[in-house]
Amino acid sequence: MTEPFLVARNIAKRFGALTALANVDLEIRSGEVLALLGDNGAGKSTFIKILAGAHPPSGGELVIEGNPVAFHSPKDAAASGIATIFQELALSENLSIAENVFLGRELKRSILGIPFLKRKEMRQRVDGLLKELDAHISDPEAPVGSLSGGQRQAVAICRALNLNARLVIMDEPTAALAVAETRKVLALTRRLAARGCAVVLISHNISEVFEVADRIVVFRRGRKVAERLAADTDHEEVVSLITGAHPDVRALEKTN
Amino acid sequence: MNVVRQFGNGVFSMSGREWSLLVACLLAIVIFSVASPHYATSGNAATVLRNSVELLLIGLGMTLLLAMGGIDVSIGIVMGLAAIAIGRVLGAGGNPLLALIAGPLVGAVLGCVTAAVVVLGRVPAIVGTLGLLGVYRTAVFVLLGGQWLSGLPSSLTDLLATSVLGVPVPALVIAAAYLAVWLALRRTPYGLHLLAIGNSEEKARLSGIPVIKIRFMTFAISGVLTGIAATFYVATYRNVEMTIGSTLALDAIAAVILGGTSILGGRCSLIGTVLGVLLLRILQNGLLLIGVPSLWQPVVTGVLIIGVLGFEAVCNRLPLGRFQRARA
Ligand SMILES: Nc1ncnc2c1ncn2[C@@H]1O[C@H](COP(=O)(O)OP(=O)(O)OP(=O)(O)O)[C@@H](O)[C@H]1O
Ligand SMILES: [Mg+2]
Repeated sequence: MTEPFLVARNIAKRFGALTALANVDLEIRSGEVLALLGDNGAGKSTFIKILAGAHPPSGGELVIEGNPVAFHSPKDAAASGIATIFQELALSENLSIAENVFLGRELKRSILGIPFLKRKEMRQRVDGLLKELDAHISDPEAPVGSLSGGQRQAVAICRALNLNARLVIMDEPTAALAVAETRKVLALTRRLAARGCAVVLISHNISEVFEVADRIVVFRRGRKVAERLAADTDHEEVVSLITGAHPDVRALEKTN
Repeated sequence: MNVVRQFGNGVFSMSGREWSLLVACLLAIVIFSVASPHYATSGNAATVLRNSVELLLIGLGMTLLLAMGGIDVSIGIVMGLAAIAIGRVLGAGGNPLLALIAGPLVGAVLGCVTAAVVVLGRVPAIVGTLGLLGVYRTAVFVLLGGQWLSGLPSSLTDLLATSVLGVPVPALVIAAAYLAVWLALRRTPYGLHLLAIGNSEEKARLSGIPVIKIRFMTFAISGVLTGIAATFYVATYRNVEMTIGSTLALDAIAAVILGGTSILGGRCSLIGTVLGVLLLRILQNGLLLIGVPSLWQPVVTGVLIIGVLGFEAVCNRLPLGRFQRARA
């Protein structure tokens, strides 16, 4: 097996007195879809926010291709090739689709030292991405506030694609989507992996996870309690890992 | 949800809101002309425009602040402090060019102080600037020692009360400031970032926007514009009184909201601000000329603010209002 794209070692996160994450070790590999599962409040979003540079970890380290990294902002993570689609999407409703796709890393030309937006280029690029996604959005100048939930998800995915990311993280991307749109997003995760991208997918839908994931990691109460190859496990086992009924989880929780 | 197209906005492009303001201005002019024989004179028109200079400059900065979800209620007194600095330079017989940079310089420094308190100190803007308002007011009192700066030399006035190719210097400076702010807002990443922060600071942060830097810059820009306003103030009146700028923040906020900028951030109109300033000054001047004591001016401003915000709140609850807003 090749060297993983990203290694998380002993990651911890505390919010005041609350321990949201403790001792999380995880390897994320290129070309692989890794599913992150766990109950509400298990710490999945918190973990990926650390990968995305949105939260500093309280402990542990992140290593990308052998080099330790410290993210001080989401911009740093993006610069390392990590694109994140947050559960709350983080789109600006008052800005257009094209503006949202490029927000924070706009194309610009410098005139007298002042950075001016290259709006035409940005719009053309977004046009292309929307077509590639088959997103059924005709006007990249429309404000995001006027879009449906599925269309907004498509814009968030465009943002990730536009970064040419090495790792794409999606936090419950299909939670608000209808059947057809869900299929599209799932097909896209596979396509990203086929391109050599690493993908982390958070979902509560276990059948969906089995459809696309190569590996499954289960979080419980801020700890990683199990890691399985999707081919080596089944629906039932995963459920018992999430709920804590599985003997492995019980044994683990007894020792802690 | 405020759904307004930001792309493709021209330098002076107007929507329904701006057209209604223009009509309101014209209507007010007609009514006052009928009501007072002193109103429709070229001298009075010049007075209204003259009285609008400081508020236009400060209004541009306030538009950026409100669009970002910020506010600065101390801005009038900041102009007062900058005016005192300019007055001191002039009073000491200083070079008028030195007086010219004193205003923007003091404005920039005080803008950075405000930014330090509000942005770095993470104090809500309304509270932080209210605190600074108290501090600055006392500073004005102490610096003036209970006395007006008056009878200042006319060197600065001679410099600024001139025309270039028939256009008065204040008009040129305002046009340049408007264009610069418009370009920054609609043509650079800074403008997008500012509007994204106004929509949601947390989402802006997650999008990789340098939120602290953008917010800091905006308070500094507003400070510089206020310092330029102070320069015109001193050049015109050649004195600095104890109560300088005491109603400016209220006027600026009223004009900006009147112009269609959202008090909640994320949406703004620069041309709306210009028209809002003009309407406010036309009303204040006209009411004075038909015999309403100037004591009542803040009442008019306050009623306008409450009226506009109340009207918007009602419109937002009506499906029709929302529809019209979406097309704006
Ligand atoms: N910014 C924050 N401040 C304080 N506590 C937080 C914060 N973010 C998350 N938490 C807490 O951390 C714990 C883990 O939350 P997290 O959002 O990571 O769960 P999750 O696994 O994503 O759940 P869900 O499936 O509901 O999205 C929760 O107890 C949550 O309340
Ligand atoms: Mg979550």
